[in-house]
Amino acid sequence: MKSYSPLITLLLAYLIMIAIGQSIPGMWQPVMLVIFYIAIGQALNVFLGMTGYVNFGYVALLGVGAYGMGVALGYYNELGLIPTLILGFILAAILALLVSAIVGGIALRLRGAYFAIATIGVNEGIKYLIMGAKIWGGSEGIVLSGILRKSFGAETMRFLSTTFADAGVIVVAIATGVVTAYILNSRLGYALIALREDEEAAKVMGINVTKYKQIAFMISCVLAGLIGATAWTLKLTYVFPQDVFAINYTVEAIVIVMLGGAGTLLGPLVGGLIYALLKYYLAIAFPGLQLLILAPLLIVVILLFPEGVVGYIAKKARGTRLENFVR
Amino acid sequence: MKKLLVFVLVGMVLFFAGCAQQQPQQATTPAGPKEETLYFGAPISLSGKFAEEGKASLYGMQVAAKWINEHGGVKVGDTTYKIEIKYYDDESKKENVQSLIERLATVDKVKFILAPYSSGLTLAAAPIAEKYQVLLNSHGGASDYIFEQGYYYVVQTLSPASKYQTGFLDMVKKLDPNAKRVALVYEDGEFSRAVHQAAKEYAEELGFEIVYEKTYPAGATDLSPILNELKATNPDVIIGGGHFADGQLLAKQLAELNINVKAISILVAPTFPEFYEALGNKAEGICGPAQWEVGARYTPDVADELGVEWYGPTQDEFLAMYKELAGEDAVPPYQAAEAAAAVLSYAKAIEKAQSLDPAKVREAMNGLKFMCLYGLWQIDPETGKQVGHEMDIIQWQNGEKKIVWPEAAATADPCYPMPTWDEKASGATCGS
Amino acid sequence: MAFVEQLIANLLYGAILGAVYGLATMGLSLIFGVLRIVNVGHGAFIMIGAFTAYWMFTLYGISPVLSLPLAMAAGMIIGVAVYLVVVKRLVDAPELATLLAMFAIGIFIEEAAKQIWGANYVGYSWEIGSISLPFTEIPYTKLVAFISSILIAAAVYVWFRKTKLGKAVRAVVEDREGALTCGIDVNKIYALSFSLGIGLTVLSGVLVTLFTPVGINAYMGGEYTLKAFVIAVLGGLASPWGAFYAGFIFGLIENGSYTLLGLIPGVEPFGLTRFVSFVVLMLVLLLKPTGLLGGE
Repeated sequence: MKSYSPLITLLLAYLIMIAIGQSIPGMWQPVMLVIFYIAIGQALNVFLGMTGYVNFGYVALLGVGAYGMGVALGYYNELGLIPTLILGFILAAILALLVSAIVGGIALRLRGAYFAIATIGVNEGIKYLIMGAKIWGGSEGIVLSGILRKSFGAETMRFLSTTFADAGVIVVAIATGVVTAYILNSRLGYALIALREDEEAAKVMGINVTKYKQIAFMISCVLAGLIGATAWTLKLTYVFPQDVFAINYTVEAIVIVMLGGAGTLLGPLVGGLIYALLKYYLAIAFPGLQLLILAPLLIVVILLFPEGVVGYIAKKARGTRLENFVR
Repeated sequence: MKKLLVFVLVGMVLFFAGCAQQQPQQATTPAGPKEETLYFGAPISLSGKFAEEGKASLYGMQVAAKWINEHGGVKVGDTTYKIEIKYYDDESKKENVQSLIERLATVDKVKFILAPYSSGLTLAAAPIAEKYQVLLNSHGGASDYIFEQGYYYVVQTLSPASKYQTGFLDMVKKLDPNAKRVALVYEDGEFSRAVHQAAKEYAEELGFEIVYEKTYPAGATDLSPILNELKATNPDVIIGGGHFADGQLLAKQLAELNINVKAISILVAPTFPEFYEALGNKAEGICGPAQWEVGARYTPDVADELGVEWYGPTQDEFLAMYKELAGEDAVPPYQAAEAAAAVLSYAKAIEKAQSLDPAKVREAMNGLKFMCLYGLWQIDPETGKQVGHEMDIIQWQNGEKKIVWPEAAATADPCYPMPTWDEKASGATCGS
Repeated sequence: MAFVEQLIANLLYGAILGAVYGLATMGLSLIFGVLRIVNVGHGAFIMIGAFTAYWMFTLYGISPVLSLPLAMAAGMIIGVAVYLVVVKRLVDAPELATLLAMFAIGIFIEEAAKQIWGANYVGYSWEIGSISLPFTEIPYTKLVAFISSILIAAAVYVWFRKTKLGKAVRAVVEDREGALTCGIDVNKIYALSFSLGIGLTVLSGVLVTLFTPVGINAYMGGEYTLKAFVIAVLGGLASPWGAFYAGFIFGLIENGSYTLLGLIPGVEPFGLTRFVSFVVLMLVLLLKPTGLLGGE
């Protein structure tokens, strides 16, 4: 199974990060921040990387995932702790699946940039449906810490919002990596890459283009939903519509995928590290000016590595022993 | 190529290790038998959407710390502590806040944290503060629900959201018992909703009649659909708003649609000078709630009269010290005063508890009552919510922001009823 | 009848707002049509126009109408600069690369604007009176915005139809290879279209402030970017005229649906209007994936 070897690099990287976070005091939350960025890149990559289609409504999936968990914990907590959590994950996945089925069903018939721009309304649409129709508290959102404390006790609440939430984010992040590796090696992956290179040719070859696009889209969306459920609802203990449907996360995820290299397994890892750390240090060194500096840097990277850093390295590594570990 | 991979991984490790190195070591001054440094930690929004507010609050904290240090520091037993503020930029982002609270609590070993700006960020900080059992003093998180979650280590220095518009209603009731019809028009966001739900309940208690209530989405560029509807309900008083841009827009379109009422109170926007610059004399007579305003008459004498202790710089001292930090022309906004009050309250509570143990200091805060330039400070022991401090109501009169309520702090009489839009169009101002 | 009156008032306002929206989208559609570049930094250029109007009025008392040509010129210069420095090198790169570059440029402009002009929300008061209708008031400034939008859109239309250069641009939109063989300098057309697109966008920023003269801020563009994208898709994405008509329809839907949604109890109708425009977008895409007025 040599095509799974890049997964070793990925897991190793997570292991190192977790070790750093655990051994150096005060580093745990920053490490979790980096892992969060890697995870949202990774989940977006499943669709964007493989198909070349940009999903501008991406953050909406994190948002509905956050709501899935929030609704379970806020409204159905009398089920008991474990069933509620399971329900939360299921609801997060189902809501993400539902949204992706509807949006994908309509928008995936469009090509390239048309798809990208068509999905830009998704996020606002869902946000205003929730706020306007006053669903699940409307703009007041769901504030969970008090509810959790009452139903499960202060200790459990603390455990849920710290250890459990962090573990959840890590598990989901690793899962997205594994899923990406699996897709890259599966019939689905081959079909998608054929489609990315030349959609017309893929169609002529008898590949059911629409079906594969839809499958990749839904997988990407469900993973995003799970990230929302763990990294936002559980960790922050609240869900506000304006907070979870903030478009900047979509853009950040795209930046991460592009920086690292779309369609590569390690791309989001490298992209996430570069992006999060660059931003972090620029913020320390030039508080308030970090975005002004980050923007030209981004442009330079795009001009130098249009295929992303990992895309570039993988190209260079072709034919060396390292080939198997970079993808 | 393998080298490259190794290089990447090593680089990563170094990056993280660098992070850890960067943090200045906790000052454990072994020298000086009785003088030590005590750090108050603060995640501050120096960039992002709360950058302006964040900077002002940082200056406020530093002024308060400086004043304390110049006036004998904080005495616990026979040790005197000098206060210093240890802060990081949180970029106004919830994810960063959690990292920074952890860093303050574990690496810097800070026991007393000044919460980040805004309710959302304060709520994000609370679980981490609770985890490490450090105190979190909210000076920019107004929403009541933060204090209804059962966090023991979270206390509030500024007035809660539920108090923002109540003073204005009290004022109207006193000035004009016949003004009964209230219309609410506000942004659909968690903060403004909390403010106006509380205002609505309070208005009904006072005997007002709510004739209209609608919200508009954040970022709306045209409020005419709502305002056309509102006009037909013929209200006496309008309360509403949300943040900066929509507050300006609300006033602007009320003028354009020529909707005349006796009094208007808008959240947030009117407290900034840009409000008057943008609207010109159309801003005359418009009121807004403020946590504090230059000119508020909280003085040691007032404290004496009320029988509470005074602590901290007087307003003149505060203004002077603020200018030293922020520049010659700087006038502190209320974010500076509330942040300063939070620092003062920590100092006061630590002295009262005679301990640096957060649990003991939290307990001491329960019975603490003092006045500073920002007003009274007293919390509800159960929830940690601020109950002593009162909101000011400001009103634009003759191009100046005046405090018109509460009467004890007022710098001018309210201009009531406000001039009509037509009168203003021909140049009328409040007091002309 | 209050209901009907309010509906009429909202539709009137919606039409005015829609014309401004439409013009604010034309530049986006033009750039996409010619260069296939998705300008995600669109709103930043609108913001430049808004500040142009604000400063000209505040510093020199210049009426926003006179700022229009100035904004157009400034926008075209900025457009050429951005094209030469960044876009030119990415013309043949994948769509994603240009998209990301435009995003970075947008951030850069916003952050630079914040550094130069501060993070405060500003506004200006240009008072020229208003028309009183029985059911609402319409300030003349908004009418000026409405009429200017239509005139400018018409001027662009004529330019495209009647001038040689305009025809060349249209030829490139329709068939790039064909245009090349006809001896059209495609690179020149690219530079021209890009700068024209940015110029129109900056100019629309002035009109935006005529409609909403307050709340001007470095980050104000985000709202308009989102709306412009939805309108552009409604209008068929590659067609500037389609965008202008779609803007109208969008404005009418946004304001007009308010009155109807107000009949539903227990909801916030204003927030729901945003959801309605999204549903309309999805329906249009479902029935006619090329957009309402696509495939001209």
